[in-house]
Amino acid sequence: MATYSNQHWLLSHIRNSFISTDDSGMCETVMLSDDMPKHYLRKFGNSGSGGDHYHWRKSHKPPPTGGGTTPERNTRHPDAPLQDVDFICYPGLDLSDDEEDMSTHSFDIQMYPEVGAHRFRSNTAQKLEKLDIAKRRAARIKSINYQEEVQPPDSEDFFKRKELPLSKTEPAKKSPKSNEDELSDEGVHSQLTEQLAKSPKQTQNRFVEFARFDGTSQVGMQTKRINVYLNMLPEPDRNYPLKICVLATAKIQEVIGYVCYKTSLQYPEVPLKSLQHYALYMTEDNDDMEDFPPLDNREPCSKFGFSHLTLAERRPLAPVTRVDYHGQLGTKSMTSEEAAEKQAVGEAVCLAMRNTNLNGQTNDPGGAGGKDSSHDNVTEYEKRLLNHNDMLEAPMHRTYRVNIIDKRFFKSDVTLGISGERIEIDQYKNAKFWPQKKPVSTPIDFVAHCEIVERRQLKALLRIWMKSNSSSPSFSTGCTSAPINASVTTLNMGSASTGIAHSPNSPGHSSGLFSSSNIRFKHYDFDTDIHIAQQIQNKLNCILEMRCSDLRRDFLLQRGRKLEKRQLKL
Amino acid sequence: MGDQQQLILATGGYDHTIKVWQAHTGNCIKTMRFVETSQVNALDRTPDKTRLAACGYQCIRLYDLESNCTAPVINFDGVQKNVTRLGFQEDGNWMFTAGEDHHVRIWDMVSAPPHCSRVFDCEAPVNAACLHPNQVEIAIGSQNGSVFLWDVKSERHERIVPEVDASIQDVAISPDGRYLVAANNKGNCYIWSLTSQDQKMSTLRPKQKITPHKRYILRCKFSPDSRLLLTTSGDGTVGIWKTDDFTKWLELCIENYWVWDAAFSADSKWLFTASSDGIARLWNLKEKKTTRDYTGHTKAITALSFKDEIVGK
Repeated sequence: MATYSNQHWLLSHIRNSFISTDDSGMCETVMLSDDMPKHYLRKFGNSGSGGDHYHWRKSHKPPPTGGGTTPERNTRHPDAPLQDVDFICYPGLDLSDDEEDMSTHSFDIQMYPEVGAHRFRSNTAQKLEKLDIAKRRAARIKSINYQEEVQPPDSEDFFKRKELPLSKTEPAKKSPKSNEDELSDEGVHSQLTEQLAKSPKQTQNRFVEFARFDGTSQVGMQTKRINVYLNMLPEPDRNYPLKICVLATAKIQEVIGYVCYKTSLQYPEVPLKSLQHYALYMTEDNDDMEDFPPLDNREPCSKFGFSHLTLAERRPLAPVTRVDYHGQLGTKSMTSEEAAEKQAVGEAVCLAMRNTNLNGQTNDPGGAGGKDSSHDNVTEYEKRLLNHNDMLEAPMHRTYRVNIIDKRFFKSDVTLGISGERIEIDQYKNAKFWPQKKPVSTPIDFVAHCEIVERRQLKALLRIWMKSNSSSPSFSTGCTSAPINASVTTLNMGSASTGIAHSPNSPGHSSGLFSSSNIRFKHYDFDTDIHIAQQIQNKLNCILEMRCSDLRRDFLLQRGRKLEKRQLKL
Repeated sequence: MGDQQQLILATGGYDHTIKVWQAHTGNCIKTMRFVETSQVNALDRTPDKTRLAACGYQCIRLYDLESNCTAPVINFDGVQKNVTRLGFQEDGNWMFTAGEDHHVRIWDMVSAPPHCSRVFDCEAPVNAACLHPNQVEIAIGSQNGSVFLWDVKSERHERIVPEVDASIQDVAISPDGRYLVAANNKGNCYIWSLTSQDQKMSTLRPKQKITPHKRYILRCKFSPDSRLLLTTSGDGTVGIWKTDDFTKWLELCIENYWVWDAAFSADSKWLFTASSDGIARLWNLKEKKTTRDYTGHTKAITALSFKDEIVGK
């Protein structure tokens, strides 16, 4: 078989199999940088196979030589070091036209989110079992036919008129009319009043908002069952996991909240800290916590395939760091479990962080900055840690499914990709109905700002401002650089404050409001889920902040000036 | 009666689930799956508090509250259209159901397999029904604007149309048996005085019309002491009215959400509301603010049931 004897194919296959079966998501971190098949391909196979590749594509036939020659070589020199000729590119693998594309092109492996360690049973087996359960259940349910014939009651007394003490209540009601405003009922108490009086005010669980992620008995929604060990419990209890069922859409942060909620119900005597103190860690089913960093708070829990997790206090810093440009911090080992040491190290890191110049900037983007109170440095430190993580992860490429708002109100489904280098807007592949539009890619240097202009109950209107690279005001309608219609405006649109009004497309209007400085900005509007909008906003602004984007500064400056002017006019 | 019996609140909504809450803490005790195709239109508990009845689109189900089982104990087959209301006679001997199939049915719940012992045809979809405290008359409100008072014992009835081209959304009879109220989708409430003599059917006498809301009224209910009347509406408010003169006593507001249902505590000092934000709330009527939130539903809550008890003076 040509396939199994091709090193390139085998390497790619091993790599992809590993990535696709890894539940933890750790492989992305570890393996992202060293794509061995590609590496070898660059090293050995570039010149020759590139030609081959081109040739095969042209002829649309399997290569006559590739299949025959490789196995021969293999059997002859199984251990020989790779040579130029040995590493033959497998057609269609890896070699993409775009050099910058880092992903390997192997088969898309479809995974079912529910698959755990065992394979799926056949549909029939499952269906039969379901039917069986339903049957057994039905046996216990009494069934009544709604349409059945009327059978009048046998006894005359079946319907019995009850005499109401009408005459007595009337005068009694009239007398206490004087103090009616208080509605006092001569001290009549109900059971509810009594129980409420007995239970102190703080009985209302502070994690109660997370109760809505409860997945038990949800109909038509994907749920996830996880066994969570609770690290903060005393010895006997912590060895038994808390079994929870959450909505699959819940983010890890929300799962933590839900676990805290369940914990506070089940172990009311255990004091719990606030949410940001806790994290979910990967765990063996014998409740040994692993030395991996905690699950990412912002990912939906459906992404991870674990059956067991541990809720524990967030460790000061992950022993595995994701991005290498904060080397100063990453080299410090934080695996120690001892609290005192943890504290000391934490403080050291805290200090280090204050002094560290991340890309020449000291202020943090998350909003924790400003007041530098060194008193409660633990919480302060943790806040910083979160922001720090945000900053580390911000440049990583992520895609979001959002709706772009075209020409005032048409929406179309697009994928918004954000990385440290660029923003890409691509129409979603399955989008029917609308004619396909060209994808847009904007270097991050042209991006000015990202904001949420309108918050509704669940949805939010997200606006990304970028530099418009045309100076003529008339290009705002069929703009060439942005095939997906971005409305071009100058800054002093009232729309930034009113929200709903998308900037008008008429060129005359837009030129009339031409800004004094020569930079013109345009914006794309997206309609999306409020959480996603928040994520995008944080991520993008974090990137901009870290890059010390001049454009952003100019943008905010200009806008500030415009606002001042407007206020002066008013 | 159970001395240490838990006070529970039951809620159901558009997420096809019924949740049972510990009333004084706000903790969810149990979640039951309703029918996958239906919201919960109304909930009521049997007078012995052991069972919870729920109705929705093409279904009526009774659940056992005492066991851990979340499957129903009684299921009605062949139900057509929405069943909008149900309720129990005070001894639990029979149950009434009202639905958009134009019929109000009485179910004998004591005989071995429960069976239907009376049917009343309203000739229009029925939106609401409520039992008179005398336990033999049922007030009915229909989509074509008719209000009926139906005597289950003698099978006689009376019909009134207070306002044409309006759909009656809810009806209520005060626990002291003095007033009948019908609320419609235009935001109007019609009030009649009820009088009854020597075992005969009550007679209706128009008393007053009030306009509590500008929009859709969803429910109206009297407080257990009959001194207050509440109306819940699609305008996000609950109006509470004094029954002495039917003037407004106070208004509770859940902005931007429909308030679908509400229930008083037995001493009329507390009020539960169910609204479309998926949160049930407990209000302290004296202080006019919420003291508990019951969160857990993922969609609008459309019905709730709360059975309280007076524990002496």
